[in-house]
Amino acid sequence: MPDATTIDALLLTLRVAAIATGMVMLPGTALAYLLARAQFPGKALVSALAGLPLVVPPTAVGYLLLQALARDGILGRDRLGFDPDILLTWKAAVLASAVMAVPLVVRTARIAFESVDPRLESMARTLGKRPTTVFLTITLPLAARGLLAAGILGFTRAVGEFGATVTIAGNIPGRTQTLASAIFSAQQTGDTRHVFALLVLSLGIGLFAILASEALIQRAPRQGRTR
Amino acid sequence: MSAPRLPAVHGTPQLTVDIRRKLDRFTLQVSWCAQGRATGIFGPSGAGKTTLLEAIAGLDRRAQGVIRLDQTTAGDVVEAPSAAFWLDSARGVCLPTEQRGIGYVPQDGLLFPHFDVRRNLLAGARRASEQGVDIANLFDSVTDLLELRPLLRRPAPDLSGGERQRVALGRALMSGPRILLLDEPLASLDLGLRRRILPLLVRVRDEMRIPLLFVSHEPTEVQALCDDVLVLDRGQVVAEGPTHEVLTKPEVFPLAAARRYETVLEVTVLAPAPRHSSGPAVADREDGASVVFAGTDIALWTPPPHAAPGTRLWVGIPADDVILARDPPTLLSARNRIPAVVHSIEAVDGRLLIRARVSARTPPIAVLLTHAAREELALRPGDDVYLIIKANACALYEQA
Repeated sequence: MPDATTIDALLLTLRVAAIATGMVMLPGTALAYLLARAQFPGKALVSALAGLPLVVPPTAVGYLLLQALARDGILGRDRLGFDPDILLTWKAAVLASAVMAVPLVVRTARIAFESVDPRLESMARTLGKRPTTVFLTITLPLAARGLLAAGILGFTRAVGEFGATVTIAGNIPGRTQTLASAIFSAQQTGDTRHVFALLVLSLGIGLFAILASEALIQRAPRQGRTR
Repeated sequence: MSAPRLPAVHGTPQLTVDIRRKLDRFTLQVSWCAQGRATGIFGPSGAGKTTLLEAIAGLDRRAQGVIRLDQTTAGDVVEAPSAAFWLDSARGVCLPTEQRGIGYVPQDGLLFPHFDVRRNLLAGARRASEQGVDIANLFDSVTDLLELRPLLRRPAPDLSGGERQRVALGRALMSGPRILLLDEPLASLDLGLRRRILPLLVRVRDEMRIPLLFVSHEPTEVQALCDDVLVLDRGQVVAEGPTHEVLTKPEVFPLAAARRYETVLEVTVLAPAPRHSSGPAVADREDGASVVFAGTDIALWTPPPHAAPGTRLWVGIPADDVILARDPPTLLSARNRIPAVVHSIEAVDGRLLIRARVSARTPPIAVLLTHAAREELALRPGDDVYLIIKANACALYEQA
């Protein structure tokens, strides 16, 4: 049986990953739609910025967040006028996971929108549908599979997040210790049985996520162009 | 079948187009007015036909000029309210597609792949119901007209090409459009299927009472469906007017006869004649002929029609396969020897295009001859001739 701190780490990991994914999905999907369909100045730059966390070391992202959240940072107490009380709490783990999940969510969702034939949207408009109705009844359902994949990728990325999380949330057992940081601590102290238990849990979450996504994709509406 | 009518406030709309639109290789420039139940937009591939249709639909928003749809009552153009302007660049008006009240059928149907046939058909029905159309009634009429009933539960991606185009047409009709825009709706189908779906389009034209614009590079389809035609080539209007007249104009005919030109005429199916009649021999062309030209009693031998006697369908008579004779020929295997009068003779592409009338009610039949043949027969407009046509050279367009 895993001990209490392991259970805590598991529950915290799931909670952090779920909240982080939830936070990213709506704005991430909106941004992805804009990148897929709209032309605007600075589009390439916006796209690059959204992809940045994927290509810089997570600890660097963590450090930038740390600077931002410091008392005199752009998200710090002096600027906001109140203490957001994020650093070294589970909320910091959520923030770190969310930022790290953005590139995967935006990229996957953008591909999902780009794979919807824009002529289908034009067709819907000839039938008298307003652009918002077209988006909700045509674009969104046809992109649903890809958006689901985006959410699952974002979630699994958040589950595995370590570098940025440990930098701003720390690695406090029972408070901010996730599965990833717990494995690191157990391995540092040479507690191989603990490492093994944590590994089994991590593999279980990963396997479940993959199977769940496969099952959801099977049931999602068929996508693609008509013959 | 009772044809559903759109609300009576809609008379026959008149579409006025006066636009310029820069394209890669030329500028599309059209100044034109379409009125009537069916108007063709004909021209070779890349002539700008689809761009014109997309500008009318509001899908192409870079056209400059004026596009307006006016309702007419008893033939008079009603004072145009501003809502009739779909495009008026000078005033900065460009009505969004969804406010133009059009029905659009593209080449590939563009059915919504996540809907079954039924939901596809109903996708635009809200607009029709907002106009006071009884949707259940319209749905029944459209599914009967286009024979969609067996397909209703099928997912859109499972349909064959012909089924898909029928559903696309039904979906457009179900949205209560004021005008139907058909962009080569048959072009993605093979020849046999095209011949069978074409009569459905004619049925739509005759029973739904919605004016239609029909883009096509197939002169056969344009002749069967359209009373009038606009001919485009490299973005310019080459000719416009009644279909049979326009397509055989010397400046248009080379475009229309890029492959093989056939004159398409409406015919009525005859009751099959008794094979071994013991009665006195009637004129041989009457005996066993399968159809008569619509509105006449001039009989024509064709391959046996499937349709019941009295049905109207279309026959295609290839201009290359008609022989002209001065004297009534005897002992000839060709079944059709129809008296006709030479209507016009024009030089086209090194050959001669003869148009011969079999009756005042039938559009002239096009015949291609060499200059030498014409000289030997000393043909002049007004001369009496016989049209010799093999029964098997005639193509029938009917639903299977």
